[in-house]
Amino acid sequence: MDRSGQKLWRPPRACDDYWSEFRHCKSLWNRFHHYYTHGTSPSCQQWKEDYRNCREWEKRKSTEAKEALQRSERNRVAEQTKFTPVWKLRQYPPRDWNMPLNQDKPQDS
Amino acid sequence: MDHTKQEGEYGYELFPHRNMGKNKQGSIAEGQFTFNHKCQIMLQFAMETSPYAKLLLSAMKNSGCKLFKDRHFSCEDCDGTVSGGFDASSSQIVLCQNNIRQQSHMNRVVTHELVHAFDHCRADVDWFNNLRHLACSEIRAANLSGDCSFSTEAARFNFGLKQHHQDCVRGRAIRSILAVRKIGQEEAEKIVNEVFNTCFNDHAPFGRIPHSKKDANFAYRDYENRDRYYSNL
Repeated sequence: MDRSGQKLWRPPRACDDYWSEFRHCKSLWNRFHHYYTHGTSPSCQQWKEDYRNCREWEKRKSTEAKEALQRSERNRVAEQTKFTPVWKLRQYPPRDWNMPLNQDKPQDS
Repeated sequence: MDHTKQEGEYGYELFPHRNMGKNKQGSIAEGQFTFNHKCQIMLQFAMETSPYAKLLLSAMKNSGCKLFKDRHFSCEDCDGTVSGGFDASSSQIVLCQNNIRQQSHMNRVVTHELVHAFDHCRADVDWFNNLRHLACSEIRAANLSGDCSFSTEAARFNFGLKQHHQDCVRGRAIRSILAVRKIGQEEAEKIVNEVFNTCFNDHAPFGRIPHSKKDANFAYRDYENRDRYYSNL
């Protein structure tokens, strides 16, 4: 049901995606890989929480559920971008990306 | 593009066929033809079936750097044990047809080089003059390509457990730099350590460190879903 002037909101991921992420996070393989990479156990509860809020939103369109879900996902994005890059991002792709390979390159050494 | 780089300074000697012109397909040695043909087939398979590669190809296309197999990939003979490289001056990924014998290895090399290509596409990477940039891309490539997964390391008889992944990434980044630049071990270590935390935590475009194909599939799913994701944050 579209409110006038507002775009219809839906959870950033399908609810099943949250559940599959939770299951994947808890799996033996993932816990092993996490220890191998970070030396710690993964924390998976947030996925379960997100799944719960997602279903809550689907059932009751609860504002709390929606906001909790948004907060959680924004946190995830923040976690992924909390470093300062060593390089500057481009505005445009490299101009010579598709330039034909030069068969008659000038000899320069 | 500036072509005045000295061969010996930038590791080009590892790829002796880079400046020979476009005759690699017409090589007369039968062995060459077989290696080249096998390399092409494995490359095609990697591009079509590896979720790591598919995600990177998609991300690059969306960044304005669509990859064409015939233009941006080159199967060549290389020196020593090097498996591949990214040549920024020609925007090509080089695959060492004489050193890549298995599909799993091809998948990893393609992913590794695609990370470099992706960095080249989205950022102003100064490959030739800025060692920190080079180190950063090598850290990311080792981290995200499966180069340092438990099984890959075990196959090299590097059995480590707690946080071994990070040791591996550090070590491989240092090795990669030493292979293409004439600097000492200590200097290479210092540079890698300087940028390690930043670059180890830069997981673009995966959004996570893909430890396995399943992780990579999840990352690919997320990538395909990114429009919905960002518009509902």
